[in-house]
Amino acid sequence: MAKKQSKRNWDFKAAKDLFYEYLEKRQEKKKINLPPETIQIDNLNRKEALNRLYNLTDSVIEKIIASGRPTIQLPSRTSTNIIWDEENDLLLLGKQLQEKQFHSLSSVADITRLMRVLEAVNELLVKDLHATKREIFYSDVKLFGEQKNSDKSIEDIATMLYTTRNSTHIVASAKGSCIGRLRIRDKSDIIDLEGLGSGGWTISPMLDNIEILESDAEFILVVEKDAAMIRLAEARFWRKYPCIILTAKGAADIATRMFLKHLSKDLKLPVFSLVDSDPYGHYIHSVYLRGSKRLSYESPFLATPNIKLLGVLTRDLDKYKITKEGRLPMTKMDIKRTKELLNEDFVKKNKAWHDDLSLALKLKVKAEIQVLSSHGFEFLTDHYLPEKLTTGDWI
Amino acid sequence: MRIFHKKDGGIVQLIDKEKMQEWPVELPLIFIEYIREKQIEKYEDTKVKKEISNYINEILKDVAIPRLISVLEGDNDEETISALQRIEELSKKNIEMTNPIRPYLNNLLKHRNKEIVKLAQNISNNFTKADKKKELAKKRKIMQEKEKEFLAGKISGEEYARTRKDYLTLKE
Repeated sequence: MAKKQSKRNWDFKAAKDLFYEYLEKRQEKKKINLPPETIQIDNLNRKEALNRLYNLTDSVIEKIIASGRPTIQLPSRTSTNIIWDEENDLLLLGKQLQEKQFHSLSSVADITRLMRVLEAVNELLVKDLHATKREIFYSDVKLFGEQKNSDKSIEDIATMLYTTRNSTHIVASAKGSCIGRLRIRDKSDIIDLEGLGSGGWTISPMLDNIEILESDAEFILVVEKDAAMIRLAEARFWRKYPCIILTAKGAADIATRMFLKHLSKDLKLPVFSLVDSDPYGHYIHSVYLRGSKRLSYESPFLATPNIKLLGVLTRDLDKYKITKEGRLPMTKMDIKRTKELLNEDFVKKNKAWHDDLSLALKLKVKAEIQVLSSHGFEFLTDHYLPEKLTTGDWI
Repeated sequence: MRIFHKKDGGIVQLIDKEKMQEWPVELPLIFIEYIREKQIEKYEDTKVKKEISNYINEILKDVAIPRLISVLEGDNDEETISALQRIEELSKKNIEMTNPIRPYLNNLLKHRNKEIVKLAQNISNNFTKADKKKELAKKRKIMQEKEKEFLAGKISGEEYARTRKDYLTLKE
């Protein structure tokens, strides 16, 4: 591939065709029907969340009065209770329940932590405040001991209330960023995501305060790495090609996934992901696509089932003449994780994806997005992305 | 979202006006101002510009004004103060946007709550300043025309001096 690329005028035909297809589909209001063997989780406003919390505490008090041996039942989050819903392409939580008892010695610490978090959630909802998971941990370090304990209780509380974690006003720290043809509202402030410099807007974890106001974008691009985001921001990619770009700077955090879901649901635009050509990159794409196992109870609010894997694909390495030096050998862990991905039902059902991962396993190579800069720094923005979006070369 | 189609196949999406019913009372006005001042010119497509301009007027008529009126005529002083504070800010930046509340200022100036009266007075002063500015611009234009006519010998020195005096009196 020559370093000097002639400047072509790409028409983005394939991406536009997909966009028109979505435009037609937006007339059909399709309601997601979850399988009967899965539990229903709701995104609640402050008042609804408080009502659920009061109902839960009332039922605990009633049990104390009636038997003196209260228990709390909540959906089990073990791997055996995680179900892949093929029709909606989502990872969901099944109906298996686990019971937390107040009266056994082994569960005393667990239940006390749970009640402490419940108390914190009540305070946050009443005062209309938000707290990070770290703040919850520091609210009672002696009780929680380690943050993993408070984090577990936070997830337990969300499942006990059959709601999303964001509905409890406990949020993760801000990590992702977004830039491009989009105007949003954060409470009473209007934010223009084209006018915030190269860094873009830091995705707020308090997404209940965010509302989409206006956009003239035609697609959404999710990039795995900040380095790729910088390249796109520097090229002002969205000015030439009307789009919204976002990144979680690595693993997909809740706020970024939830914001992407929000964008995709409200604007109904095609969504593409650009990740490293390695099992970790493919896993990140899968988390955007159908959710993670750990947070499977929130999948309907976090997953973007129509996201397409644009690249970097293993087959791209030959197509774009990536040199041997640019291809990295897979480690044992990479091979193990690729095999695990190939065993997932959702990969098995997607032939193109299965083929690409199989090819990676056969060649035992991986590559980073940045390898494309071996053809010049502007290759990504001036050739690779436009060509793929024009020809429809995605999975 | 409300969708507007461009001739080149592109689209512009704007939030549905129904969603604005839950917004803080002054926000629909701020949104209207934002789209008018910052976005509309960027859309390039004349048809879309016109359609969005009509939609913005619809928001003003159906959401922004009725919501403002309901708060300003209501009994909740706290809500009225909060709305007036934002309207006062807006009146400093773009007085035209706050025109819909003008007919209600007289009643607010007689309100029992001192803070409401103070805010209403500030907004009223901003209207007076804006009116004066507009009047001054009008007189300046007339004066400049008369100056040209005077230099061309079409009007007398007295007539020009009278126009200039009118302008300077208002300016002072």
